[in-house]
Amino acid sequence: MRERSDLFLRINASRMIAQRLAVPFFVVAALLLIVIGKADLIVIERTRVAVSDLMAPILAALASPAASVASGVHHVEGLFSLYDENQRLREDNDRLMHWQTVARRLALENAQLRALTHYQPHGASVEIAAQIIANSGGAFARNVLVDAGARDGVARGQAGMTGEGLIGRVAEVGERTARILLLSDLNSRIPVVVGDAGLHAILAGDNSAEPLLLFLPAGAGVKVGDRVVTGGAEGVFPPDLPVGTVSSVDGDTVRVAPYAELARLDYVRIVDLGLSAFLPRPLVPSR
Amino acid sequence: MRIGIFQRDAETANRLIPFLSCFAALVLSVVPLHVPGLAIATPAFALMAVYHWTVYRPDLLPPAALFVLGVALDLLDGTPYLGLSALAFLAARSFVLVGRRRAVNRPFAFVWAGFLATAAFAIGLEWAMTSAISMSALSPRPFVFQTVVTVAAYPIADYLLAQLQRGLLRRA
Repeated sequence: MRERSDLFLRINASRMIAQRLAVPFFVVAALLLIVIGKADLIVIERTRVAVSDLMAPILAALASPAASVASGVHHVEGLFSLYDENQRLREDNDRLMHWQTVARRLALENAQLRALTHYQPHGASVEIAAQIIANSGGAFARNVLVDAGARDGVARGQAGMTGEGLIGRVAEVGERTARILLLSDLNSRIPVVVGDAGLHAILAGDNSAEPLLLFLPAGAGVKVGDRVVTGGAEGVFPPDLPVGTVSSVDGDTVRVAPYAELARLDYVRIVDLGLSAFLPRPLVPSR
Repeated sequence: MRIGIFQRDAETANRLIPFLSCFAALVLSVVPLHVPGLAIATPAFALMAVYHWTVYRPDLLPPAALFVLGVALDLLDGTPYLGLSALAFLAARSFVLVGRRRAVNRPFAFVWAGFLATAAFAIGLEWAMTSAISMSALSPRPFVFQTVVTVAAYPIADYLLAQLQRGLLRRA
């Protein structure tokens, strides 16, 4: 009896030691992971992509009801602002009618000039529609997971767009999912062209809603309201996609307000230009 | 005898509830919720579940489980700092266990205040680590915001988790 209780005590003691050591053990393991993750190993990326692909059906199933609840709320919100909205749309309409006239004239002029210079148009761009099934909830990562992947023709480096403008760049591609790094992410760097003067710069995310413009030429004279579009310097990335407008200029710190509402994304278009010949026909999921 | 086996199965299943509820909270934190105000950061749902179980049943949520949950969250979140959430969860656990004895039989406000301290500690740690790894002082605003919304949403999470605890863990 005594021996048995001794044995029991011994087992209990070793158990307690194991429990004591568990926390330091896993803390060290977590720290090791952080260091390994920092090295940007392909294994980690593969694991992440595999987990995303595996979770995709569950996430997609949850994303749809969340989106419909949100659109319901949005609908009710809309009812309260009908009058204001109507007023705003009337004003917009007036302005857009004017722009339509300008656009028609420019289109005509463009066609004439193209005919004059025997211009060769770019290949048709590939566009893939995708729904956002997850977004990073944390306070520092800014990315979204979409339900289209390699099998739909998505490739790393393509541009993610909404109707308003660029949201970011495809950073990781799985079989059925892809992760788009948003403009606002700390690691996002996108070559852009600023203003009518066509100044080249890099749009860099810093975790805030309005990314920074880096490497602008000194004394460039960038003003608030200048339009920012993508620069085509990077092979795969299509040029001249709308990005946003300069929202503040404070010495060397120039910030850009993106056209796309990065906080309210449902569906995105993934756009590719130049590689279209090598990619399968775009699949547009029917919904 | 047969009933005994079934009972044991039910017990095992019940013992998994803390882990599974944390996992559900983790998935919820990456689902796009489309709440306009929560654009900067969504509440750290997983942290709420981790806190709740660590206060009431730490035996059912051991460090190994927290490590797995943290790594899973980082993989789903697509953060470049894999392991950071695991570290934050483990830190939160150690933090809670220090003051846990004093939380017994106290009103909910006490537990809530404990969560405020824990969330501030864990999210603050994430901010410090991210800043250190990226070698730049990140704006603390999103982190402060996340702490505030997380703490504000905690009573609802606590209520739901307490229902789970009452309903399913009674026999465990």
